[in-house]
Amino acid sequence: MRSRQGAAAPEPAAHRGGWRDLRRLLFYTVKRLLALFVTVLVGVYLTIVIANMGGQVDELRRVQIRSEAAEAVRADPAFQDMPAEERNALIERQVALEVERLRLDEPFLVRSVDYLQQALRLDLGRAEQMHSDRGSRDVYAIIVERLPATLLLFGTANLLVFFVSVFVALFLSRRYGSALDRSVVALAPTSAAPGWFYGIFLILVFAFVAPLLPAGGMVAVPPPEDGWAYAASVVRHMLLPVAAMFLSQIFISIYSWRTFFLIHSSEDYVEMARAKGLPSRLIERRYILRPTLSPIVTSFLLMLIGLWSGAIILEQVFNWPGLGSLLFRAIGYRDTPVIIGGVVIFAYLLAATVFVLDILYALLDPRVRLEGERR
Amino acid sequence: MRDRTLLRVEALELHYQTRQGAVHAVDGVSFDLHRQEALVVLGESGCGKSSLAKALMRLLPRNVHHTAGRVSLDGVDVTALPDERFRREVQWSRMALVMQASMNALNPVVRVGEQVAEPLRVLRGWPRGKALARAAEVFELVGVATDFLARYPFELSGGMRQRAVLAMALVAEPALVILDEPTSALDVLTQASIMNALKRVKRELGTSFILITHDVATSSELGDRVALMYAGQFVEVADAERFFTAPAHPYSQMLMASVPRLRQRARPEAIPGEPPSLAAPPGGCRYAERCPYRFARCAQDPPAFRLGERHRARCWLHADDAQAGGSA
Repeated sequence: MRSRQGAAAPEPAAHRGGWRDLRRLLFYTVKRLLALFVTVLVGVYLTIVIANMGGQVDELRRVQIRSEAAEAVRADPAFQDMPAEERNALIERQVALEVERLRLDEPFLVRSVDYLQQALRLDLGRAEQMHSDRGSRDVYAIIVERLPATLLLFGTANLLVFFVSVFVALFLSRRYGSALDRSVVALAPTSAAPGWFYGIFLILVFAFVAPLLPAGGMVAVPPPEDGWAYAASVVRHMLLPVAAMFLSQIFISIYSWRTFFLIHSSEDYVEMARAKGLPSRLIERRYILRPTLSPIVTSFLLMLIGLWSGAIILEQVFNWPGLGSLLFRAIGYRDTPVIIGGVVIFAYLLAATVFVLDILYALLDPRVRLEGERR
Repeated sequence: MRDRTLLRVEALELHYQTRQGAVHAVDGVSFDLHRQEALVVLGESGCGKSSLAKALMRLLPRNVHHTAGRVSLDGVDVTALPDERFRREVQWSRMALVMQASMNALNPVVRVGEQVAEPLRVLRGWPRGKALARAAEVFELVGVATDFLARYPFELSGGMRQRAVLAMALVAEPALVILDEPTSALDVLTQASIMNALKRVKRELGTSFILITHDVATSSELGDRVALMYAGQFVEVADAERFFTAPAHPYSQMLMASVPRLRQRARPEAIPGEPPSLAAPPGGCRYAERCPYRFARCAQDPPAFRLGERHRARCWLHADDAQAGGSA
């Protein structure tokens, strides 16, 4: 072999692979975008149909409009001495106007398509019962008002759980069977209790037995004027709910990641890398983390969209102004526009996440990117 | 004169810890291997062949109970080296392993060329271009088109993957390559062409091989020497010629009789019984239970009797022909 070293060793073809991959990737991206658009379309349309009970809600609305109009006319002193027939005619006119305004006279099928268009343009309309804290009836405003509080609380807790558990799990998978590993496994069932359950105990201990932290809310009342003092107050209010969520999720999360890494560190190619005498850091990075990046990224992004829905009970326990309780109330009021608005935004976020995931899969895993080329 | 011995293994032991107690997977194996020589380690499934390869490469699983013995490579006792030095100086650069099930031995998300060139880049610090050029050379040597360097493992056929792994083993020009069942998952034609590639490598590079297999036919292709393993021990070590024509140990004889041959009337004879459990190996000769020549002395553990230059058998039948000696 040495004697051949001088002979023309062709420039390895590794570079040529790059172009082929890029072309594949573009094609794949367009294909996925189209598929996702159709998915969102179908999902949002189904929500519209379901939230309107296939048009049945219209009947309820008519009844409601009629009773409101009757009430308004009856309560108005200007119409007090009007004859009953004229008054009824007035009510009918009012109802007809309102029905026309809401286009209830058109078939539901036609309107549902319009609703779909509006929803896709994020024109979410006005709420029927609910309003934002600032008094707006705009569904978009109602939802967006709650978004920062939800993202702040659940984002902090979930990012913390995710990164802590992945790193601790990697560490434990290196020390399989150690005392630490066994104690984490033993603690995994603690996650059977939900976050709010731990929340109640934390509030009891840290807000009442030893009153160190506020029991609920998002910021002190009245809110501090100074920006830093405001931030500090929010952080103090976040400590307990974040701790509650962290406690309830961390052990099961570590446990499942640890098992995941253990399974993947006994792959033949990992064993081969060990035989090759590669340093263990490199093996961990290139042979364990790199091939498993797709599922790791998936779970990370799904965790991120999970933030959107908030958590109803935990928000109640800590009196946190989040989205979970908002949507819960909207369902209670049968406030169709708010429900649809929530779902539309969720559908968009989900589609965006899945799209990002699809692209990431293709970048991370050649088997996805080059699929179909050889078959 | 330069010593012809490349590898000397003395009383190598590897025991695993299991619920049933310690499993004696490798139990006192001794042999030596010359330069440019191929040793075939033959044995039934579960006799400790793969464990032998792992013990030599120091690829010990988590449940190791105990290891012992000496492995010297080029006269240097590598068992005495600390792990880190062994990894950097011996593993892969001097002694490489093609593992069983090498179908999945390639990282699915890294280009084949990068993986083949990796040991050079990581262990020797070669720049990427130089390492890839060298990978292209070994690809040619084992009969894979260099186009495949830029491919991913899933784009390669089984035989191609096996060759790529072989190329990976050869890339750092190790003095010794251990092949653990390299062809058992492949069809006969692919097997034959890989065996031919191995012969070419042996001829051109002068690499020594330890070929672990249960397939007597494969072993006769490449082997200069044959070691027959039974229940964690080498029961006979001999030149291939001698082993296939005049095996000394009863197990060797019965094994040869069990191989079906073309153009032969005699029916292949199966060996009755089963190998003993390695968790509780019997005292005395481990083959005694299945041996038709069993006699009183078989209750004691036979040493490896020297039957000629580099020919040893662990059987009391040969106690009179020879005297017990060290490694063969």
